[in-house]
Amino acid sequence: MKRILLLLSFYLLAGCGANEPGPAQQTALTVSSTMGGTVDPGFARALTPREFVFPADHGAHPEYATEWWYFTGNLSSDRGEAFGYQLTLFRVGLKPGSADADSNWRSHQLYMGHLALSAIDRQQHLSEERFSRAAAGLAGADNNPLRVWLGPWSINGSEDNIFPLTLQAATDRFGIELSVEAGSKPPVLQGDRGLSQKSAAAGNASYYYSYTRLPTSGSIRLQDRVIKVEGNSWFDREWSSSALAADQAGWDWFSLQLDSGQDLMFYQMRGKDGQPQIYSKGVLVDREGRVEPLSLDNTRLSVTDTWTSASGTRYPIGWQMRIPRHAIDIEIQAAFADQEMAHTVRYWEGAVKVDGSHRGLGYLELSGYSDN
Amino acid sequence: MNGLSPLLLRAGFNYQLRHRWQAFLALVGITMGVAVVLAVDLANGAAKASFALSSAQLTGAATHRIIGNDGQVPAALYTRLFTSEDHPPMAPVITQTVKIEGYPGRYQLLGFDVFAEGAFRADLPSAIQGETSLGDWLARPDALAISQSAATALGLKLDDSLQISLQGQSHDLQVLVISDNDSVGSRDLLIADIATAQAISGMREQLSYIDLILDDDDLAWFNGRLPASVKLVDVQEQAEGVVGLSAAFELNLTAMSLLALLVGVFLIFNAMSFSIVQRRNLLGRLRALGVTRQEIYRLILAEALILAIIGSIIGCILGIWLGQGLTAIVAATISELYYQVSSDAMQIGPFTLFKAVALGIGGTLVASWLPAHQAARTPPLTTLSRAALEQSRVRQIPVLLGGGLILVLAGLATTFVLQGGIVSGFAGLFVLIMGAALITPVALPLAHRLLDRLPLGGVWRMATRDMQRHLSRLGTAAAALMVALAATVGVAIMVESMRSSVSDWLQDLLNADLYIAASGFQDGVSLPPGMIDEARQLPTVSALSLYRNIKLPIDGQRTSLIAAQLAAPSRQGFDLLQQQTDDAWSGYEDGGIMISEPLANRTGLAPGDSLRLPTPAGDVDFIVAAIFRDYASEHGRLFLDLSVYREYWQDARVDTLALFGKSGQGQSLRQLVSERLADRYAVEFTEARAIYRESMAIFDRTFRITEVLRILSILVAFIGILSALMAVQLERRKEFAVLRAIGLTRSQVSLLIMLESAILGVLAALVAIPTGMAMAWVLTDVIQLRAFGWTMPFIIQPGPLWFTLLLGLLAALLASLYPAWQASRGHPAPQLRED
Repeated sequence: MKRILLLLSFYLLAGCGANEPGPAQQTALTVSSTMGGTVDPGFARALTPREFVFPADHGAHPEYATEWWYFTGNLSSDRGEAFGYQLTLFRVGLKPGSADADSNWRSHQLYMGHLALSAIDRQQHLSEERFSRAAAGLAGADNNPLRVWLGPWSINGSEDNIFPLTLQAATDRFGIELSVEAGSKPPVLQGDRGLSQKSAAAGNASYYYSYTRLPTSGSIRLQDRVIKVEGNSWFDREWSSSALAADQAGWDWFSLQLDSGQDLMFYQMRGKDGQPQIYSKGVLVDREGRVEPLSLDNTRLSVTDTWTSASGTRYPIGWQMRIPRHAIDIEIQAAFADQEMAHTVRYWEGAVKVDGSHRGLGYLELSGYSDN
Repeated sequence: MNGLSPLLLRAGFNYQLRHRWQAFLALVGITMGVAVVLAVDLANGAAKASFALSSAQLTGAATHRIIGNDGQVPAALYTRLFTSEDHPPMAPVITQTVKIEGYPGRYQLLGFDVFAEGAFRADLPSAIQGETSLGDWLARPDALAISQSAATALGLKLDDSLQISLQGQSHDLQVLVISDNDSVGSRDLLIADIATAQAISGMREQLSYIDLILDDDDLAWFNGRLPASVKLVDVQEQAEGVVGLSAAFELNLTAMSLLALLVGVFLIFNAMSFSIVQRRNLLGRLRALGVTRQEIYRLILAEALILAIIGSIIGCILGIWLGQGLTAIVAATISELYYQVSSDAMQIGPFTLFKAVALGIGGTLVASWLPAHQAARTPPLTTLSRAALEQSRVRQIPVLLGGGLILVLAGLATTFVLQGGIVSGFAGLFVLIMGAALITPVALPLAHRLLDRLPLGGVWRMATRDMQRHLSRLGTAAAALMVALAATVGVAIMVESMRSSVSDWLQDLLNADLYIAASGFQDGVSLPPGMIDEARQLPTVSALSLYRNIKLPIDGQRTSLIAAQLAAPSRQGFDLLQQQTDDAWSGYEDGGIMISEPLANRTGLAPGDSLRLPTPAGDVDFIVAAIFRDYASEHGRLFLDLSVYREYWQDARVDTLALFGKSGQGQSLRQLVSERLADRYAVEFTEARAIYRESMAIFDRTFRITEVLRILSILVAFIGILSALMAVQLERRKEFAVLRAIGLTRSQVSLLIMLESAILGVLAALVAIPTGMAMAWVLTDVIQLRAFGWTMPFIIQPGPLWFTLLLGLLAALLASLYPAWQASRGHPAPQLRED
């Protein structure tokens, strides 16, 4: 959800994150420069709720500046080893409109991919980033059947109903090959019928829907070892032409799958003063897929644990969340501390465990902390 | 030099002080020798460094490269590899040579994909980020990045526009990025997004190559992934085969640098010999006083060392200054012909300076060894006698002559008999010239004997006799002048031979009336098929030839394959050196290939042998039907019948068309083509004459630097003669005073000196001419064959020979002006009293 902001915040984070920018970072910083403070008015903006049409809306919306297909999940092997994974393909519109036809390498669209694997038992976090223009078949998105790809990384859907989905992505150190099933819950339209307001300005909003619990099976590869795994994924779709407001610093985003069968999403927008803002929102999805909205009024978050990364960034990796109205009082703790994504943008995204009134697993994303 | 008494050293020092002029001239000799060698070395180094820098920027961190058998790689291959799992880092590249409107020279247009470049040329993405938005960089079809040095050279600011032309079409580009980081691109690189480069070059479905960073495991990854039409090559190996700095140009500079070295050593020898020869009186007295041979030997070497050190230091300073001038000339030539080189590319490395200083000191010591040895060996009594010295020199003539002849023969033997590369060729040349230099002093008494028979009187007769009397002084000066003149005439003959061979060859080859190309004779673009048919049906056309030019890797070198359907007159343009059968052309039609002489020499192929060529369908063996004379490329070229080519390569394109008009209708053919074809098709048509003129202009520009270096070596030799004559004149002051006292007028004394000098100059030139001819022969028949693989008729034009004679005379006369004026000055009486 907030992940839209992840991209848009590039310009805020540019140059402050990476201490030793390697070649990849330098490429990436280039991307951040494109995200300049304002969004080109030539892009469409999310102003009013829209009628979502599937499977068409699973595909790309190039009239908007940014978009992503965001998968996270907790998996375990038959030997009981626990893993977390993240595969995200971001689309970035560099300019509105279609590109000149003078070359089939010409494109206004850029794709960025983030792939991460957390081997929880051995506390090992592996991640990789890649880029490509959306041209010449190097990267792009097709519809029905859904196919979003960036080089060899791909998200492949089935015809009509996109499920089952196949996720395939690998680096020389690790990889995933997963089949994602539909599960029993319909997609959740976030915010106001899928229009998710991120700050006061009109148009600083996104179209946003989530599949909160998708049964997942397949294999992961760690070095040369291939491990069969099973578990649940969370799939977020979001597109917008939004930007962070001047007074916003970042967000803390929770996606939790509780053993009770409930799923909980909450994002806390933080101001530059460190305080949560009223745009912080969430949903509680029950076993049957019914949705209850959450807001700052009924959700209390406090930090119980922090961790400082090698780069000196301090992340809140332990939280207490209380939602008295739903009798929720849970401890959310990183599965292990170092799940920092040290790429173009330095952020923390990793598997978490839930304990307290409810137990469960989930993912936590912390952004805007390395901006010092 | 321990063991030298301070007293002896002081004697040496005082002598030098009293003969400041001689010390100065010796210094000049050393200084000039060191300076010229250093300057040529610096200019040579700057050219090479510029090239290395350029290619390093092109290569970046790549270890391997995928190249196409026809010079292009399908873009779809990149996509297929990029979307394959576990692919190694790779980057697509498009490169084209372009011209910028309003600027001389050629530039490299490079198309990069900024997202793929991170691992290869990391500075590029950050440079773009710093200056513009990624959106503009990718979306705008005119976005261009250049380095600060290119911006300065072109006088461009951010957002300025420039127009480039490629394949006869102009494109407007705007400078969106100027990078401070010069490693982003040297002066000759224009960097654009790959889409922009594709659009400009018309390579919509193609790439120039794919850069890769591979380790050994990754090599296996490519198994089964590459089509037969491409090859995976090691960047390092490929770079060695890439035509960069033309080998001809480099050879040229190397030859000149060696000749400068030779002349330099001679100057030093010249100077040191004088300083010792003149002091024979002093040395004789010292020997008579009981100073040992060893001590004299050491004294002279110690002096030489001190002079050498001072001379080398000054020489280095002068050489750096001179080097800047030479570098500017070399840079201008290379920039016009190959790639942009900055005249500030000159780098003064410690090794370069070390070489120059080592030459100065080593050369001086070596050059002083013989005189020192002789000075030490001569018994005290005879040492005192000047006449005895000259006598002994005359007696040495057979030794000199014999030694010289042996060296000449040894030089020729080294060159011709020793199988080897260019190095042994040059070594032989060096020895040959040394031999000729030894023989030169012999010419002086010989001339004396000849001239003495002429009915000459007075000063004339005196002058001829002085040839023998002052053999010890004039001999080395003559040798130094001879070496410089020989170098001049040798190189001139070589260049002339080459020029006339190339000219004949071009005229034979370009025998059509009109050439039509889609691309201005560049790679990548083809003629519209409809146009070819129309051209065929033009009423005034009697015959036409079709050409398709691609590049193939043969033995690691990119070699031109020209698939051609040749009309009869085109075939007549070929000078076939060896044929498989009497009718090589029918072999050609049956699928045989015609290979150029350089290719035959490089591969060792003879007619009847077969050559394996990589075709898109895999490797195929082709029979060599004939070998033809060719100077187009030292990597070689080969011709294959167009229909055979189309069968294997499945490529119906044609890039060039040669049209033959019906007899006497060449002019109307041109008119017809311009009326009927030129408007409707984007083609360029050129008359053979224009191509010929352009080719010869390029040839001449390549050798412009040679002219400069020749002038420089003559200058050095001139200083050598001047210093020799000055030394002789200084020593003969008393003699001239006697001559004046017995009635010679001032002008007669002046005339005497000038005459002596003129005879010396002419003699040096007369020895230099055969020596230079031998040198040109070695350069043409041995070194060129070894360097480029081609042979050419050895042609001697009278022009350079007369020029050499005139040059020798003029140089010697000019050098004698000041000594002549000096000698005639002043009163004889005080000069008689002196000394």
